[in-house]
Amino acid sequence: MQRMASSEGRRSQLLRGALDLCLLAVVVEGPAYGYEMTKRLRARGLSIVGEGSIYPLLGRLEREGLVDTYRAPSNGGPPRKYYRASRKGQRALAAGVSEWRAARDAVDAVLGLVEAEVQP
Amino acid sequence: MNQFVDECRREWKRLRVPDAVADEMAADLAADLKEAESEGASGEEVLGGGASDPRSFAASWAAERGVIPPRLTARLPRRSLMLAAIAALTITAAIGAALVIFASPDASAPTTAIRLSPPAPYPTNVSFDKDGPARAALATREAELAHAHAVLLAQLPGPALVQANGGIVLRLPQAHGPGVEIHTVGSILLIVGIAGVILSVLFLFWSSSRRVDTARS
Repeated sequence: MQRMASSEGRRSQLLRGALDLCLLAVVVEGPAYGYEMTKRLRARGLSIVGEGSIYPLLGRLEREGLVDTYRAPSNGGPPRKYYRASRKGQRALAAGVSEWRAARDAVDAVLGLVEAEVQP
Repeated sequence: MNQFVDECRREWKRLRVPDAVADEMAADLAADLKEAESEGASGEEVLGGGASDPRSFAASWAAERGVIPPRLTARLPRRSLMLAAIAALTITAAIGAALVIFASPDASAPTTAIRLSPPAPYPTNVSFDKDGPARAALATREAELAHAHAVLLAQLPGPALVQANGGIVLRLPQAHGPGVEIHTVGSILLIVGIAGVILSVLFLFWSSSRRVDTARS
């Protein structure tokens, strides 16, 4: 039980450090409103259930000028606030992805050895 | 779902988020929740971990968007403000106590100053006849010196320490000024100061314990 809780906590921490990059990646593909982003993330296997909400993150991205917003009618629903990546956001995404990959490779270099020893 | 949005609105109102911004965030949130509900998704799939605590969710969203107006109390640490208030109230109480003590009717009796007159020098070349003129002149001289000391002390502004007759005596002005009861003013300052200090210290302890409870939770 404790092991499971620890695993979930680690997943939360990892996701917290990369969720803003994931949101930027999603809106680089095309403008999206809040729940639409959640659906795009879920379609790729990334569920935010039990994790931090995307709305405060979207607020921060907007405040830092990494996304532009506009209102437009959604499919049959009320007008929604759409987010799209700004130029600054695209540059931040590129830099963030580089950092993520460098960190991932460094961690893999360590943990990959452990995995080889555990699985004979 | 509507209840969640209502809770968020209340929190934004409490945080003084501008109405236009709060309306926009509430409308977006309500539309997202409605769409998720129509698709059979749970609120947690939209809100993540924030679904269980609407107030924290709303506060976090507003703070990240930078739409919470800054306040004076947020810029200055509350503890520093309270300590400054306690210091000011302590000084007030001390001034009040000083006025009460020094301006009491006994301390301000004018006899204290009048008794400072030094003994008049006795002339060496006079004989002490029972009804002689020399004795009358001596008595007059003593009265004049005593009167001069009394007048001098009465002209000193405010409380003063006066050296006379080989000792130091406290001299005080009259307690009853024109239209102002110094003793009463001192009593009021003393009561206000002590009550303020007590209330401030209690509030300080209460807010500290509340902060610890919040941190634990």
